[in-house]
Amino acid sequence: MTARSMETGVSAAGRAVGTQGVWARIWQQDGPGYLFLLPWFIGFFGLTVGPMLTSLYLSFTNFDLLTTPDWIGASNYVRMFTADPKFAAAMRVTFFFVLFSVPLKLAFALGVAMLLNRGLKGLPLYRAIFYLPSLIGASVAIAILWRQLFSGDGLVNQFLANFGIDGPSWISNPRYSLWTLIILSIWQFGSPMIIFLAGLRQIPQDMYEAASLDGASKWRQFWKITLPLLTPVVFFNAIVQTIEAFKSFTPAFVISGGTGQPINSTLFYTLYLYQEAFGFFRMGYASALAWFLLVMIAAFTAFSFLTSKYWVHYDD
Amino acid sequence: MTTDVQTLTVVGTETSRTRRHIISVVSHVLLVGASILMLYPLLWMLASTFRPENEIFSSSSLWPSSFSIDSYIRGWNGLRVSFGTFFLNSFVIAILCVAGNVLACSMTAFAFARLKFRGRNFWFALMLMTLMLPYHVTLIPQYVLFLNLGWVNTFLPLIVPKFLASDAFFIFLMVQFFRGIPRELDEAAMMDGCSAWRIYWKVMMPLSLPVLATAAIFTFIWTWDDFLGPLIYLNEMRQYTVQLGLRTFVDSTGESDFGGMLAMSVLTIVPVFLFFLFFQRLLIEGIATTGMKR
Amino acid sequence: MTIRLDRRHFLMGSSALIAAGAAGLRPAFAQGNNLRLIFWGGQDRADRTYKVADLYAEGGGAQIDGEFLAWNDYWTKLATQVAGGNAPNIIQMDYRYIVEYATRGAIRPLDQFVGGPLQLGDFDQDQLEGGKVGGQLFGISLGANSVAVLVNETAFEEVGVAPPNRDSTYDDYMAMGEAFNSANIRGGIKAISDGSYTEPMLDNWLRQQGLSLYTADGQLGFGEEEMVEWFRMWQGLREAGVCVSAEDQALDTGAMESTMVIMGKSATMPSNSNQLVAYQSLSQDSLTITNYPRIEPGAGGGHYRKPSMFFSVGGDEANAQAAAEFISFFVNDPDAAQVLGVERGIPCSAAVREGLAPTLDEKSQIALNFVANLGDLLGPLPPPPPPKAGEIDASVLRVIGQEVAFGARSPEDGGKAFVTEATALLTGA
Repeated sequence: MTARSMETGVSAAGRAVGTQGVWARIWQQDGPGYLFLLPWFIGFFGLTVGPMLTSLYLSFTNFDLLTTPDWIGASNYVRMFTADPKFAAAMRVTFFFVLFSVPLKLAFALGVAMLLNRGLKGLPLYRAIFYLPSLIGASVAIAILWRQLFSGDGLVNQFLANFGIDGPSWISNPRYSLWTLIILSIWQFGSPMIIFLAGLRQIPQDMYEAASLDGASKWRQFWKITLPLLTPVVFFNAIVQTIEAFKSFTPAFVISGGTGQPINSTLFYTLYLYQEAFGFFRMGYASALAWFLLVMIAAFTAFSFLTSKYWVHYDD
Repeated sequence: MTTDVQTLTVVGTETSRTRRHIISVVSHVLLVGASILMLYPLLWMLASTFRPENEIFSSSSLWPSSFSIDSYIRGWNGLRVSFGTFFLNSFVIAILCVAGNVLACSMTAFAFARLKFRGRNFWFALMLMTLMLPYHVTLIPQYVLFLNLGWVNTFLPLIVPKFLASDAFFIFLMVQFFRGIPRELDEAAMMDGCSAWRIYWKVMMPLSLPVLATAAIFTFIWTWDDFLGPLIYLNEMRQYTVQLGLRTFVDSTGESDFGGMLAMSVLTIVPVFLFFLFFQRLLIEGIATTGMKR
Repeated sequence: MTIRLDRRHFLMGSSALIAAGAAGLRPAFAQGNNLRLIFWGGQDRADRTYKVADLYAEGGGAQIDGEFLAWNDYWTKLATQVAGGNAPNIIQMDYRYIVEYATRGAIRPLDQFVGGPLQLGDFDQDQLEGGKVGGQLFGISLGANSVAVLVNETAFEEVGVAPPNRDSTYDDYMAMGEAFNSANIRGGIKAISDGSYTEPMLDNWLRQQGLSLYTADGQLGFGEEEMVEWFRMWQGLREAGVCVSAEDQALDTGAMESTMVIMGKSATMPSNSNQLVAYQSLSQDSLTITNYPRIEPGAGGGHYRKPSMFFSVGGDEANAQAAAEFISFFVNDPDAAQVLGVERGIPCSAAVREGLAPTLDEKSQIALNFVANLGDLLGPLPPPPPPKAGEIDASVLRVIGQEVAFGARSPEDGGKAFVTEATALLTGA
């Protein structure tokens, strides 16, 4: 079925009719696609490309927000790799965060989505409860809350004390502070959970019924039906969550008050970028940081797309 | 002997029923436990809104020493403009953004997922790229752009981009879901002579309710929670959104109203929560209700 | 069928909303001759400021469109507006940023208006000096301020030891710390917070020795030796349990609610005189202020009266004079002063100060008296800090201070690293 559908796209029908001339052929082949993309094109060329290219240009200047930028060539990029220890620190923090928060969050989201997809009683209520933490985002309230939970005499340590464990001040100890942000990220697992749920809903029930009749165990059904059919959604969640994790800003900004403390242990890449841009008036350098991040993320995404044909199963 | 076998089978079905019962109970216990873990911090926040201001930072118990709704009254009327105005503004912006995103992103995604045209992969890659640049560096160029359009201090910079499919996240999301819908359906429609538009509107959209609902929910919530856009583009307090209102309660350098902030934070969650509760029904519907079978 | 109906409803609903939203789609800004004012602060400050703006308009002055934001949001938005060529006419400025904005031409020198639209006849000289960058006046101080130690009197009462006073030295604090440790109240509250990476505290400590944080030509006013000694002193206080642990101190993110006194971790901490009232509203204990500790009995000269914040003039040339007129009203008018109180610091006009004094509440009185009676604690006004001062504070002193506190560096290593990195920033491009 997959092979057949490759041949019979919408445009194939157009091609069969089109003998009137080159332009008509082009119109018939490409017209509908570009018409549907029209709103996006207007937005892209009207609102998005300009600012993006401007920031690319600024990355080769010494723009300080307040005066006219001067072209300084690749100096910003050179500085990044040769003379900026904070850049290295920010890279370490960000990669650590991405490496741990994304898989844990996705696993958690998928697990809960599977649990919630089983037609338990009170399902909408559970789903809503699990989504609640994602509703508050990262605000001043969250910063206060996290201090109450993870400080030396916070709730977590009060709980651990029952088992005779004398915990550190998790949130302000450089060894653990990043973990409290990873936990915050996992706690707000609502969005990927909803997307998984929507994906699970798209799997036709009759496939499970057939598998049950064949005597396949739940475990086997998961590996043979659920997971393969869910791969487009897993793929989406993995890519988007990774991009978001690389760009993660607000939680660290709110919880460390924009400082990245203690000792730069929560100095996320974009937090550093923000400090450089708006704290220390080096928007040119910040733009260079941003474009390097874009290249990193793009490389990761391209790699994921290239490998996706080996494990992502589409229906078309 | 026969009676023995009979009792055995009866016991057997009973144990399997009990087992199922036990599994269900265990699931519920697990979920309730997890719910409490999820909710504890929020309950603390709720409790704090009933506390006197100077007790908020010294108490980690759930039970306030005294109940008072002062925080709510103070919070609602504490700023120059009542919080009701902020709610209305947020609501108008969020609903319009939902409409824009659902329409424009689904059109764009339909093109990427179903139509064949030259340059498709190129445009798709460019579209994804817009997702990857940290927004802080486009903030100023974008501000200049909207300033020149005369849109600063209006809702337009917050809404118009949504109608122009500026949210690559949702395009990508919908592409992934559209590709999961069997091709046979639009092929059949095409055989009947349907145009691309009709296939989009009559076949894809009805079949994509779960993902459209997902996009609606996320757009609403994220617009509701967004503060950077409103912060940069709105100057007048009576145009403020709830998130901007919340942020004016607390300043790290001077006198702040934490009680009011927390109380209004709690109220702010209510509309998004209701929106979620309402739209999540559509998540469950989807394929089952459209009667589609493979 | 039901779905199609839903979709139609959805479309109808959204077009109705577009109509409803159209009201919000027009610029609500009454442009014209109104002046735009932007400041950071909470609702209390906003109420006072707007009331003064109303007074001004009633008296025939220009209409003021005010906008206020929290500190963290403020600088992002201000920078965006300035960069976009849409700067407000009157801009609240901080000591840390005024040099950046002035040297880059984002705010205007006000010297031409002084004596005319901008009356500064009985303005305190030190406050005028504080608003100068490169010899030109760029900011009008909205209140004098001084560094001060915030003291939780109730905690001292519970421990049964006298709270610090005007004569207390660092050694005295050591003794208080021991009293706190043996009393062991409130889960082990300490006598003081860790001030080792609090810039004003280091500055004060240096000034008592006749040194300074920065020299007039924008270099470090001290050397490695002093920095090592400073870190060693705090290491000693930390090891003796007189100040809070590194972990506890790192809970402080700069927000008032995360500070050691409000979190109940210490009974005193370095702060500012104008923040007493705000801190008091967050605490159930009785708070007061006193001066920073002396390095030895009789040593003084560490304090100075610092402008708490300024009004500066930005935006188009045409409205600069009108903006200066409003600022003049803001700092001189007696009715305005009654409204403003000491919320932004102690008024800088002598006449305004005298008129205001009797009307203040108890905590505001404490702040006013403290700043008015610094006496031998008062030293010379330091030169304006170099542009990189803010960055050195935020990303050198804080980071190295925390590294020393957490034991990742020795005080010797930390002192050396600080001088190296700060010098590199000050001399670099």
